[in-house]
Amino acid sequence: MEHAAVIDFYRYPPIGEEDWQYAFQTAKVRSLETTMLSRGTLVDMANAEDFTAALDLLGGEDYAEMQTAATLGDVENVLLAKRAAVRNLFVDLMIDKDLVELLRARHDFANMRLAIRRVVTDRPVGLDYSDFGSVPAAQFEEIFKQENYSLFPYYLQEAVEEGVLAYYAEKDVRQIDYAIDKYYAKYKVEKASEKGSVFLLSLFRTQIDLTNIRTMLRLKMADRLDKDFFLAGGYVDCERFVHGLDVGYEALATLFYATPYHDVIEGGVAYITSEQSFLRLERLCEEHVMGFLRTTRSLAAGPQPIIAYLIMKEHEIRSVRMVLTCKKNGLDTRLILDRLGE
Amino acid sequence: MDYGLALAFAGAAFATFLAGIGSSIGLGIAGRSATGVLSEKPEQYGLMTLLVVLPSTQGIYGLVISLFVMIKINLFGGEGLAAITLAQGLMIFGASLPVGVAGLFSGIHQGKTCAGGIQMAAKRPEMGVKAGVVYAALVEFYAILGFLVSFLLIFIGITI
Repeated sequence: MEHAAVIDFYRYPPIGEEDWQYAFQTAKVRSLETTMLSRGTLVDMANAEDFTAALDLLGGEDYAEMQTAATLGDVENVLLAKRAAVRNLFVDLMIDKDLVELLRARHDFANMRLAIRRVVTDRPVGLDYSDFGSVPAAQFEEIFKQENYSLFPYYLQEAVEEGVLAYYAEKDVRQIDYAIDKYYAKYKVEKASEKGSVFLLSLFRTQIDLTNIRTMLRLKMADRLDKDFFLAGGYVDCERFVHGLDVGYEALATLFYATPYHDVIEGGVAYITSEQSFLRLERLCEEHVMGFLRTTRSLAAGPQPIIAYLIMKEHEIRSVRMVLTCKKNGLDTRLILDRLGE
Repeated sequence: MDYGLALAFAGAAFATFLAGIGSSIGLGIAGRSATGVLSEKPEQYGLMTLLVVLPSTQGIYGLVISLFVMIKINLFGGEGLAAITLAQGLMIFGASLPVGVAGLFSGIHQGKTCAGGIQMAAKRPEMGVKAGVVYAALVEFYAILGFLVSFLLIFIGITI
């Protein structure tokens, strides 16, 4: 199903209706949300004197077990365990397993991208894949070794074909990413639409727009005019991004003034032109998604708050990892805060 | 066949039936929300229970009106059932509806309001009574109006 690039909302797209089947699950998630780290804690960690001081700040929070972590490896293990626990809880809480499948697809496509890259560059397929996809990480190596792609779900079979064909067309590994990203974008929008999930459709279309914004600015930075890299299915027409490649940085915010991403582009471009870095753009894109996810707080029941919790918790775990890694490596506090947001 | 009496019986049944459905759905919603919070914060049992029981009142109002109808038609008296015309039966049936219909809808919506209050109390327990209970009580007001109208119609509006 083709979705028109029409923006009929002010800042965040609709999130759909309440579903009272999820009364228990939503209430549980609301309780769990109280244990999430505040922005203030993360900023304090960024401002902490060193790694140990940053770790100490997590003492009274949901990450208390990290107190015993002495090395980054220990921290990583605790964070991985925490992330796995959050994902398992998500699977347990979701009544509609089709939506779980749809969210798992993100990991399948990421695994697929990695596996094809390795295959076409004659490297071992390996086992280090995300285990949250529909296809277990251990199966990837076997399937690629046997070249028996029929063992994949239908959507992944098509993705393999697209990815491999794209690579051999130009013998360029980046083409694998573009082909799979395009296929995944189309797949997730179609599936969310088919399932009738207004929330996931809005989330996916927003993510597509933000990916296109990143692509546009990276292409501009590299002085490239490739117009085929933009993903269809977002709220903003691909033509606008292509147009963005032709105009100067100073005109970009105006070009996107009538879209919900004006602030993202304005802030991101200012930092790119002054610092030659995408740090703030990445942060603003994440904040836009987080802002959208926070709108699910207006619902007293439904799958939306559960999905939002999963994504927000994963984001929190990534932030903790980022701050602690930066602290361990002695990175400048200002850089951490730029990435984190003040 | 005494159609008047049949309608009065139907009225009594509907008052409890509809209001009871509203209460049970409302209780179900609020109860599920409360167990969700209690699975993480068992210390909030008292406040959660208060919010869960609120939607149960509609069913009680329905039952009380049903009992009034039964008294009206002399179900509990020793001299047999009252002789009721079709018009009187219809009036009793109609008088029983406000508590039933108001109970049905207000029970469901009160359950949803309580679920919202329960979730808010999970994050800010100090607001549990101030907002959670008070907002749910506002929904209750319309169940009380339904009860009042049914009560007045049965006792003042209908003479047998």
